[in-house]
Amino acid sequence: MKKSVWVIDDDEIYQLIIKKQISKSGVFSEQHYFKSVKEVLHTIECSQLQLPDVILLDINMPQLDGWQFIEMLKNTYKDFKNQTSIYIVSSSIAYSDKERAKEYPEVTQFLSKPVSVEKLRDVANKKSPA
Amino acid sequence: MPPTTSRKPLLVGLLAAVFFLLLGLFMLWQRYQILLESREREMTGIIDVVEQNIDQSLKYSYSAALSLALQIDKDGEIADFERIAAQLVDANPNIDAIQTVPGGVIKQVYPFEGNEAVIGYNILEDSTRNKEAFRAIKTRKMFFAGPLELKQGGLAIIGRLPVFIGNEFWGFSAVIIDFDNLIEQSGIKDLSTDKYKFQFSKVNPQSGEEEFFLGDTSNLKFSHSENITLPDGNWKIHIIPVNPYEQFYAVIPVAILIFLMSSALGWIIFNTMKQPAILAAKVKKQAGELTKSELQFRTIFNQAAIGMVRVDSKTGKILETNKKFQQLLGYTNEELIKKDHIVISYHEDRQENIQLMEKLRNNEIREYNLTKRLVRKDGEVIWIKLNVSALWSKGEKPTAHIALVEDISARVKAKKEREENEKRFRSLVENSSEVILIIDSNGFTKYSSPSLERITGYRELYTADTEIFSLVHPDDAPALISQFKDSRANPGIPFSGIKMRLQTKCVNYIWVEVTITNLSHEKSIGGYVVNFKDITAKQEAELNLIKSYDFVMEQNKRLLNFAYIVSHNLRSHSSNLESILDLYDEDGPKEEKQTYMKLLQNVSKNLNESLYDLNEVVSINTNLDINVETVVVSEYLKRTLEVLQLQIEKKGADVDVNVPQEMQVLFNASYIESILLNFLTNALRYSHPERKPEIRISAYKYNDSWILEIADNGIGIDLEQHGDKVFGLYKTFTDRKDSRGVGLFITKNQINAMGGRVAVESTPNVGTTFKVLFK
Repeated sequence: MKKSVWVIDDDEIYQLIIKKQISKSGVFSEQHYFKSVKEVLHTIECSQLQLPDVILLDINMPQLDGWQFIEMLKNTYKDFKNQTSIYIVSSSIAYSDKERAKEYPEVTQFLSKPVSVEKLRDVANKKSPA
Repeated sequence: MPPTTSRKPLLVGLLAAVFFLLLGLFMLWQRYQILLESREREMTGIIDVVEQNIDQSLKYSYSAALSLALQIDKDGEIADFERIAAQLVDANPNIDAIQTVPGGVIKQVYPFEGNEAVIGYNILEDSTRNKEAFRAIKTRKMFFAGPLELKQGGLAIIGRLPVFIGNEFWGFSAVIIDFDNLIEQSGIKDLSTDKYKFQFSKVNPQSGEEEFFLGDTSNLKFSHSENITLPDGNWKIHIIPVNPYEQFYAVIPVAILIFLMSSALGWIIFNTMKQPAILAAKVKKQAGELTKSELQFRTIFNQAAIGMVRVDSKTGKILETNKKFQQLLGYTNEELIKKDHIVISYHEDRQENIQLMEKLRNNEIREYNLTKRLVRKDGEVIWIKLNVSALWSKGEKPTAHIALVEDISARVKAKKEREENEKRFRSLVENSSEVILIIDSNGFTKYSSPSLERITGYRELYTADTEIFSLVHPDDAPALISQFKDSRANPGIPFSGIKMRLQTKCVNYIWVEVTITNLSHEKSIGGYVVNFKDITAKQEAELNLIKSYDFVMEQNKRLLNFAYIVSHNLRSHSSNLESILDLYDEDGPKEEKQTYMKLLQNVSKNLNESLYDLNEVVSINTNLDINVETVVVSEYLKRTLEVLQLQIEKKGADVDVNVPQEMQVLFNASYIESILLNFLTNALRYSHPERKPEIRISAYKYNDSWILEIADNGIGIDLEQHGDKVFGLYKTFTDRKDSRGVGLFITKNQINAMGGRVAVESTPNVGTTFKVLFK
């Protein structure tokens, strides 16, 4: 069964690229693209969208960043990590960011940009936490 | 010497004594013999006289008897006997009576009276008396018999002359001599002085025993007697010394004298002989003692732990040295001997030694002590303690002296070091920038180092308790008092690191760091040692350091931020480029490829922007010697507002400016332009859509520094969420597309570069106020 995926990233060009790559990989079913955390929260609230299997999350975003999103998610859905795997996708190669990612048990993996189609397939094929 | 020699004098003495004794005794014996001979001669002389006298008497008797015999006629008769006999007797006083004994029978006797009893007595028939009669007949010579007890009484001798007539024995013509008369005639009585005694003896012809006729016969020592034999009567006359040992006794004192003298002589010889032996023994004993003391001296000399040297006092030449001395100086004994002792003295110390030596030589002193230096063979100078003693007797001429040498280099060195240390410490204390006080338990200053005046301006601190504390800053006094209390309770332990302010003479306070040590128990201190140093400069430096630290930390933070930006923002572009190119390479419709090319253009544009921003940031941070001038803020503000005139009008904003003309700050001109433009642009851009924008710009002084405030009534920023990111690069807080998160970052950097600070106050939906603090 194909997995559902959310992409949260403020970089418009990246959004275009990842869309292409996801469609090329053909391993994901339902897809949603968000340009800010605010947008995600708004969507969840208004359209009662279900949490996906995979979230590809950027860290550096205006207003609310990736970390803040994880905190909010934890507060709203106590056991979300049983159904959702969070992948940090960042252009940062800073050691501090990778270290920080390890501190979150909710984060499945830290992926550095650029992300290839093969990597997306690996993510999809990985056994879901549930 | 062999031990026998000591006995020789005794032997010699004894032999000499015996020799002298024998010699004396021999001489004495000779003398004794002479004495005896002289006595003998005397006795012989006396007895000769006696003999002659007796012989005379007997001769008279013989002639009387012969005269009578001649009267005898052929018939054997004597005519006229009476007359002849009378003549003979009267003429011869020696003769007491005269007899005719024809045929052995007494016939006639004269004087008849008294002798009548013997008439008719036949002597030849009387066996007791006839032997002598027969002898006379036989020899035809007159023979004297007796002394006999006469028939008629009395002791007498009887001379019988045998008468032959015609060769026929007729009888005897006899003469009687009274024995006493005979002795009288002999003169014995006259001759025998009290020295001698006489004896008259005769061997009894009948019994053959010697009979003595004169007095006492006891104690007769005939060994000393002389005798003569009278053949006419076969008598012996003895002369006997009354005291036969007189001569012997006479020599006894001499003998004793000789004995004593020889003994004395022997003793003298013995002593004389012994004297050398005693002397020899004494010499030997003393020599032994001398050897012993010499040995002891040698041992002491050689093994002594201090150097010893014997020196000829006249020439000053070294005679001998001991091991220690050689070790001290590094010379061998051979090298030292014959050297002048002054040569090894350190030249500066020579004179004193020479003077003292002169006094010693002149007998002014017997010894002296001196602390001086010697020079070792290797040239090293050593300190020694010298003791020199004369070896000659007091008052005599100098011979040699002995010098005891003790190495005190270590001691002197230690003392010098001690002195230098003391000097060093003193100079340290006195030149130290640190003030040292000794305060007694009553709070009085016992000592203060010279630095006190230098630092505080007070010459001395006469500190009763109150006074020292009166100089301390009131805020710091309690801490100091508590330190004093702790110090009192813990003697010997320094309490340090007390920082406080102290009032100096010239009113202002200086920062000092105090250390208090309670040394009341130390005799040499007897109080609290308080040392403090001026740390005002240090304190300021510390504050500067903190400032610098903060500055560096800020810089570091910016650098980290920059690095982060570089890694994140630039990489985001590069990763996008990579991904697009990947997609482009894959097969796809032409339109799709064109889309990728457009994307690439966008990425390129974004990358360019990022690089521009970064360059701006870098230039602000690296341009350290950027031109700084006095800037009149109000003028720049006016100019900026002119530039923004269009936008202000478009927004319908109300701008209120309250910046005084005198507000002048040291700033870079283009920075102040950029800052003002940025703040005002933001205020206009993020205005609240539902109300008329109001912008108030004001300036005022606070603590000598200018503060510029720009307040708006815009949308505001949620500082609870974004507080630390407001001035961060690429931090945006709205959804507006034209906000890039660069302006405030650059503004803050420009203010910091000019030494100023910026702060923000904001409430969402109410407004934001930025405050700029100029240096």
